[in-house]
Amino acid sequence: MDSSASTLEPLLAFFAYSMSKLESTFYKVPGSAVLARYVRSSHQNDPGRTLLELILIVFAIRTLLQSRTRTDRSGKNFIKFNEKEIDELVDEWTPEPLAQPLSEWEQKDLASVPVISGANGPKAKILSTGKTVTNLASFNFTGLAGNEQIKQHAIDTLRKYGLGSCGPPGFYGTLDVHLDLERDIAEFLGTEASILCSQGFSTISSVIPAFCKREDFIVADRAVNFSIQKGIQISRSTVRWYDHNDLKSLEDALQSVEKERKKRKMPLTRRFIITEGIFERDGEMVDLPKIIELKLKYKYRLILDESISFGTVGRTGRGLTELYNVPASQIDMLIGSVANGLCSGGGFCAGSMNVVDHQRINAPSFVYSASMPALLATTASAAITHLRNTPSVLTMLQENIRTLRSVLDKANGITVLGHPASPIVHFQLRSSQGGSYEGESRVLQEIVEDALAQGVLLTRAKHLKGQELIEMPPTIRIAVTSAMTKKEVEKAAGVVKTSIARVLGKRR
Amino acid sequence: MPSPMALNPPSPSPSIFKKKSLSSLPSMATAASYLSAVSEADARARHHEVSPTSTPALSMSSSVTSSSEDTVLHENDLDDSGLAYPLTPPTSEQVFTTVHTEFGHCANESFRYASQHTPESTLETHYEDPPYYIFITTYMSYLMLLCLGHIRDFFGKRFQPRYFKHLMPYDGYAPLNSDFDSFYTRRLKRRMDECFFQPVTGVAGRTIAILDRYSLDFNESYLYSGSKTRALNISSYNYLGFAQARGGCADAVEESLRRYGVSTCGTRLESGTSELHVIGEALVARFIGMEDSLISSMGFATNSTFIPALVGKGCLVISDELNHASIRVGVRLSGAQVRMFKHNDMEALESLLREVISQGQPKTHRPWKKILLIVEGLYSMEGTLVNLPAIIELKKKYKFYLFVDEAHSIGALGPHGRGITDYFNINPRSVDILMGTFTKSFGAAGGYIAGPKVLIDALRVRGHSGAYAEAMTPSVLTQVIASMASIMGVAPPPPSTKSALTLSPSSSTATLRASDSEEHPGLAPASALPSWLSLPLALRDGSEGHSRLRRLAFNSRYLHCGLKKLGFITYGHPNSPIVPLLVFNPGKMPVFARLMRTRQTPIVVVVVAYPATPLVTSRVRFCVSASHTKEDIDVILRACDEFGDLLDLKHASGERWPLEEIMKRSVELVNMP
Ligand SMILES: Cc1ncc(COP(=O)(O)O)c(C=O)c1O
Repeated sequence: MDSSASTLEPLLAFFAYSMSKLESTFYKVPGSAVLARYVRSSHQNDPGRTLLELILIVFAIRTLLQSRTRTDRSGKNFIKFNEKEIDELVDEWTPEPLAQPLSEWEQKDLASVPVISGANGPKAKILSTGKTVTNLASFNFTGLAGNEQIKQHAIDTLRKYGLGSCGPPGFYGTLDVHLDLERDIAEFLGTEASILCSQGFSTISSVIPAFCKREDFIVADRAVNFSIQKGIQISRSTVRWYDHNDLKSLEDALQSVEKERKKRKMPLTRRFIITEGIFERDGEMVDLPKIIELKLKYKYRLILDESISFGTVGRTGRGLTELYNVPASQIDMLIGSVANGLCSGGGFCAGSMNVVDHQRINAPSFVYSASMPALLATTASAAITHLRNTPSVLTMLQENIRTLRSVLDKANGITVLGHPASPIVHFQLRSSQGGSYEGESRVLQEIVEDALAQGVLLTRAKHLKGQELIEMPPTIRIAVTSAMTKKEVEKAAGVVKTSIARVLGKRR
Repeated sequence: MPSPMALNPPSPSPSIFKKKSLSSLPSMATAASYLSAVSEADARARHHEVSPTSTPALSMSSSVTSSSEDTVLHENDLDDSGLAYPLTPPTSEQVFTTVHTEFGHCANESFRYASQHTPESTLETHYEDPPYYIFITTYMSYLMLLCLGHIRDFFGKRFQPRYFKHLMPYDGYAPLNSDFDSFYTRRLKRRMDECFFQPVTGVAGRTIAILDRYSLDFNESYLYSGSKTRALNISSYNYLGFAQARGGCADAVEESLRRYGVSTCGTRLESGTSELHVIGEALVARFIGMEDSLISSMGFATNSTFIPALVGKGCLVISDELNHASIRVGVRLSGAQVRMFKHNDMEALESLLREVISQGQPKTHRPWKKILLIVEGLYSMEGTLVNLPAIIELKKKYKFYLFVDEAHSIGALGPHGRGITDYFNINPRSVDILMGTFTKSFGAAGGYIAGPKVLIDALRVRGHSGAYAEAMTPSVLTQVIASMASIMGVAPPPPSTKSALTLSPSSSTATLRASDSEEHPGLAPASALPSWLSLPLALRDGSEGHSRLRRLAFNSRYLHCGLKKLGFITYGHPNSPIVPLLVFNPGKMPVFARLMRTRQTPIVVVVVAYPATPLVTSRVRFCVSASHTKEDIDVILRACDEFGDLLDLKHASGERWPLEEIMKRSVELVNMP
């Protein structure tokens, strides 16, 4: 008894000491006195309440701790395994290979991609054969590839700015030449401002998610290009697709969205119409005045992709707005390609000051990517000046388009697609020449190769099979350039026509 | 008006050795000098309001400014800042071929270091916390900013509605950006907008010319005074200093512009492929040590367009929580499930792996088709290196595929500049996919993805870029080829065989990679380069590349260790060229940036805050370059030392050295383990 008391004594003393220590430190914490008073008084009034509050606190802490792990080990579906079982499962698991090897056709397709030796332009030298051929495949609409003046401009820029900008626009990557080009584009189109992106393809897929959020509505053409499809996917907005270039179907879609919104009493959210000026897929052209009328009527904003039409239609290449004579300010976000239209690299989005400033902090591929090399910006500025000063570029281009189409229209077995002013001319095989998609592609590839042997470079329009929203029929896509004379175009188109006849004739 | 000397206290502050304690709030003297410095800097920044056309802000201290377009490269002003001319003139034996403003002259061979993993160095990042009062004041600052912002919004909407028109529903249109969504931007970021989007001109090399601007409407818009200020550039991703307008690479680019023009006019699969693409891809594959590679015209798009071709529905992507936005976009487009793990935490990764493999796909519990782990080699906000050895070990056990984004590490790490695998001396082929960009170390643009040939060929056909995105332009390709070849060094061609360059169109490497057995990392065979490319000897024999790599490693380590010894809290690995310096308090960021910019030798710095970083850990991010000299790093250390005292930033534990000692014993400091 005595001994046990003596052994307990230091323990008790320690306990009492630590309690008093704890108490004193507790009172040192600011605000603790208030808490203590509260607990004391509430306990006096109603001891049961103290218990209740204690339980509440414990519960709150538990839920707090739980919510941390909730996402990982969510109740119902989580199966508990012990370590050994997990090891076994890990051993058993065999992943699929990272990439499915190419099929025989895909390999052939890849091998047939031409490599160009030296400068590209209206005449291109093919590396594998060493032959110089007439180029009806590359995007050189304005014929500026190889322009000596522009080359010299690029060299001057190189000697002042070096090549890369070595930084995103936010962090010392904004060069004065970028600001100049943005201003040039805005002035050329007649918008308040514009913003550059370092790759044409990534421009619109970054513009869309900068504005369209989860709760918003998008009404888009079913055959929009791949970049738009990806932008829409990233935005997670609600999408309604309307039939390709069918404005009646667009209006129906707009009406149905409006009806639904009224019925479900949804709050006002942003609504967008997204379409292309000239469709990359088939060269169709959108009826811009009509679309603007619809957008104003239903209070939508218009995102217009002019990647093909900028630099190629209108009197001086300002695009659809010039062709239809509508002010560019009517289009909320006008996207164009510096790479295609101006023979440089990158893309832009033109619009109001608000639209552009918003993108400077919200468009992912603007914010998180290095700005474009200085020499690409200055060559684009020089190209704009060239277009302004030489309207003959555009007259020549349109003339060549007409010449080419008039020859191809006479070819048997094919259908020429698209708008008569489109600088890209797609043609497809008339009704089931090859059967399946792949079969038709093979026939078209034969035409491409036959034409190449005759000295004309063509290309099939390449698509990502299985990843597209809708499957377009396989086509050959001709890109017309203003850098050829009418004679040259006639001759080249003639070669294409004979190749078509020869290949299709063999198959009959 | 306080004296300008307040900015540059003549002697190092005596408190350097003082042990920090919780109660050692800045003394009155420091607070007063802080205020005077701020107002001084403010006055300098707003100098233009008075006389917009006068000489730039710094002319009062006889510093370098260039006023006309043509003097960007040839400053002939009296220069005592060391920006345009080295402070110590070269001796007669020393011949420098670079322009000092672009690439600094440094002949001292002891200012070199090899970027290499050593067994004793740890990869665990120790995130040091500042004293509590820093946290408390930081939160209080944010609270104050929020309150002020809301008050201004409240009254603004009532009394100045036109400023809010674009944030409110109008005429049946929802606003593009609601006032709620833009609150942070308008009320917090706007206050320090002068730190962002600073337009510059000329080469983003060792120094950069900033266009002087000022705002009369609280950063709503800017006016340009027309003058420029040349500043020391510790902000660009110019790790190896290849951002140059002169020298072998620029000469090569000029030649290629003459030969190839500006653009290749098309996509890769539709007649936009130039022979330079084929040569470039083969060279990149050899540089990285992979079988094949693919080049894309934008680094961001390399991730966002090729990741969807790697994984899809039924696959899982495990992603480091700090991965770059481009990776997130790519993963989201792919349709694969994503799980994140704590930054660089290998235990968290392993337990996640065990969980996901044992559980399989959600709901159905079917096994995952494949699991792709995506990490970065060097993290751009933290300066941390990925723990690659540990990941390779995990990979053996858990059979996931590994994708390493080497955007920042390629060229910047490793004794041969081959990136993170080179740094750890790991066979690059033990990683499945190595991706990287050319925007950083190579002074170019665009990105690459490298891996086994089967995989790369699949990406050529099935990746989004091949069919739809414009191809990389010839000038950019040439810069990549020339800079890469000069890092590798070019092997002299074998004397007898005149190997004509034969290229197979589809696969770049089929014919070029004749000697696959060749040692990695080896030289670039002359036959793998364009025949017209003639590099100067120093680039051709790889000596300059080698020296650039070693200079970068020295500078990185020197800045990192120097800041540590001064008492700053920094994150990241000492060998990383990215050095984040923590400032915590949001108000200190613009002050720090402005003080640096308005010094006698102006320095431009990048400040990053929420949302790019967690709320409390606002930071200044230095990006060291091989083009900096040791004196440049001294200048930066000196500036940091002064402003660190002024702004109360020195809170790290550990031994401290006075600045003079750091500068004197720099070589010793760098070589300390
Ligand atoms: C990890 C990472 N990946 C990709 C990119 C994008 O590269 P680029 O600037 O070339 O588009 C960056 C650039 O900041 C990056 O840090």
